[in-house]
Amino acid sequence: MNRSTLLRGLGLAVLLAVAVATPFLLDPRGYAIRVVCLALLFAAMAQCWNIVAGLANQVSLGHAAFFGIGAYTSTLLLIHFGLSPWLGMLVGAVLGGIAAFLISLPTMRLKGHYFALATLAFGEVMRVIANSWSGLTGGPVGISVPFAPPSFAMMQFKETRPYYWLMLAALVVVTLVFVAIRRSKLGYRLRAIKENADAAEVIGVDTTRTKITAAVISGMLTACLGTLYAQFQFFFDPDTVFGVASISVRMAMIAIVGGIGTAAGPILGAFFVIPLEEFANDLFSSRAAGLSQLVFGVLLIGVILIEPRGFMALGSRIRRLFGKGGRP
Amino acid sequence: MAVLQAILDGLMIGGVYAVISIGLTLVFGVMGIVNFAQAEFLMLGMFVAYYAWAWLGLDPLLAAPLAFGVVFLLGAAIQRVLIRRVLKAPEVAQIFLTVGMLIVLENAALLMFGSGFKSVSTPYQTSSLQLGPLFISVPYLAAFAMSVASGLALFLFMRASWFGRAMRATAQDPMAAKLMGIDSDRMHMLAFALGVGLTAFGGAVILPYLTVSPTVGAQFVVLMFTVVVLGGLGSVAGAVVGGLAVGIIQSLSALAFPIQLQNLVLFLVFIAVLALRPKGLLGGAR
Repeated sequence: MNRSTLLRGLGLAVLLAVAVATPFLLDPRGYAIRVVCLALLFAAMAQCWNIVAGLANQVSLGHAAFFGIGAYTSTLLLIHFGLSPWLGMLVGAVLGGIAAFLISLPTMRLKGHYFALATLAFGEVMRVIANSWSGLTGGPVGISVPFAPPSFAMMQFKETRPYYWLMLAALVVVTLVFVAIRRSKLGYRLRAIKENADAAEVIGVDTTRTKITAAVISGMLTACLGTLYAQFQFFFDPDTVFGVASISVRMAMIAIVGGIGTAAGPILGAFFVIPLEEFANDLFSSRAAGLSQLVFGVLLIGVILIEPRGFMALGSRIRRLFGKGGRP
Repeated sequence: MAVLQAILDGLMIGGVYAVISIGLTLVFGVMGIVNFAQAEFLMLGMFVAYYAWAWLGLDPLLAAPLAFGVVFLLGAAIQRVLIRRVLKAPEVAQIFLTVGMLIVLENAALLMFGSGFKSVSTPYQTSSLQLGPLFISVPYLAAFAMSVASGLALFLFMRASWFGRAMRATAQDPMAAKLMGIDSDRMHMLAFALGVGLTAFGGAVILPYLTVSPTVGAQFVVLMFTVVVLGGLGSVAGAVVGGLAVGIIQSLSALAFPIQLQNLVLFLVFIAVLALRPKGLLGGAR
């Protein structure tokens, strides 16, 4: 192990320690800590999207499907059978994985715009089903997570701090999975598909299997995060958890803003986008509905035009400008 | 008889779907960009027609050319300022630029026009013609006729005018077109402006039988994509066939399923077509 990897490891350890300690600095019943929780959750969601879109360049606009499946599965199991959300989360992950597998079958040969369109339609299918199958989901009025005595086993807590650590743990796990995939054979195969799918096929990469594997992992993790969201918010409806703008596009946007295909990108992106949105909401919502969403859209366009590879690329550009990047 | 009536209704609304989707397919054909924000221009067209009716007392059918003109100019500006910069960018940048436009347009409309539903009233709104045992609703027929007229106008423009030929040349082979002295930048601007303008025109002619709100675009997004994918992304003739097919599928499925599930059938058709024949029903065998 050389010095730079050692330093990097040390830096990450310090960062993680700071992240674990942060809630002690925030008012446990305050608004700020909730915003940070959401930012952690959305960072993890963007990281899930990053597995498929960042590594294999399969741009999904339908990840809300898996997220919603996770949220509804654990909540319905809790309501009807009193099942702990931890187990519900596992069931949700299995269902999310199955959904990812099923949607992969017809879409795996599609690329670029076509793939984006097909996944968009899939997400909408799930939203329409959730809205119209009222007997199961409660329909458009939404569904509440029943209150239970606060405990770790029921994934319900009196104050916000434990949720914070839960979200942080989720982000760490998903990020580790992303890094592990990127370094594994699967990661190299995914990148081969990204560069040139036909060439990858010719040199013996089973592109179909590779894409499906990545999609299933991404779908399962996204479903788990849906459960966390449900337990954190206590109430949701089909248009929130299956929403195109509220979930699918936001996940993608966070990853893009931070830096698509990088491990740190989604985290940077989430801690920029989510607080900004909350701030804009807070500032404008009483006067003008839609203004914070407008900010969100303008931001997305701005990032795409200025640096479509996000903050990470912007950072290295600036470093190069000051001559620290090595090559001129 | 109910089936025949449904097919007739489907043809009428399908004609409109064809016209609003031609714009989408035109943009893709010439520039290779899938405009996820296309349905928002339909919404803008509806609002132009609504305010022309509310302030000037203009019938939406007469305001349709106005909607076309206003959105044409807006489209030219958007192409110049935004789309032009991502033409050579990776697909993910293209996709999310237009997704960003969708969010901006929808919420700008929300700020400007409020979230309420607005509708016009016209003397022919509830009248219908009897055709043997079948009925044709007059607003459907009027929208259909206007759509056919605008579709024909576009067809003639693309075939007979210099601009139309130059645009098709740019779509076929941008480099060769450039060598022949065609300014591809200008052709892209024209294609985008024409594309969104046509969609706005379609929005104006359906206003007599629909209500407009800033979120009306959401109802049309997947529908428009189904139309163009059915016909083959980039093919104008395909969009016409796709539009009629989607209209008929939609009104037939209304006979069998409750209203909320109508779109579900459409989505499933869409995914199936993408999976089985991504180049469209008319496209060559893969």
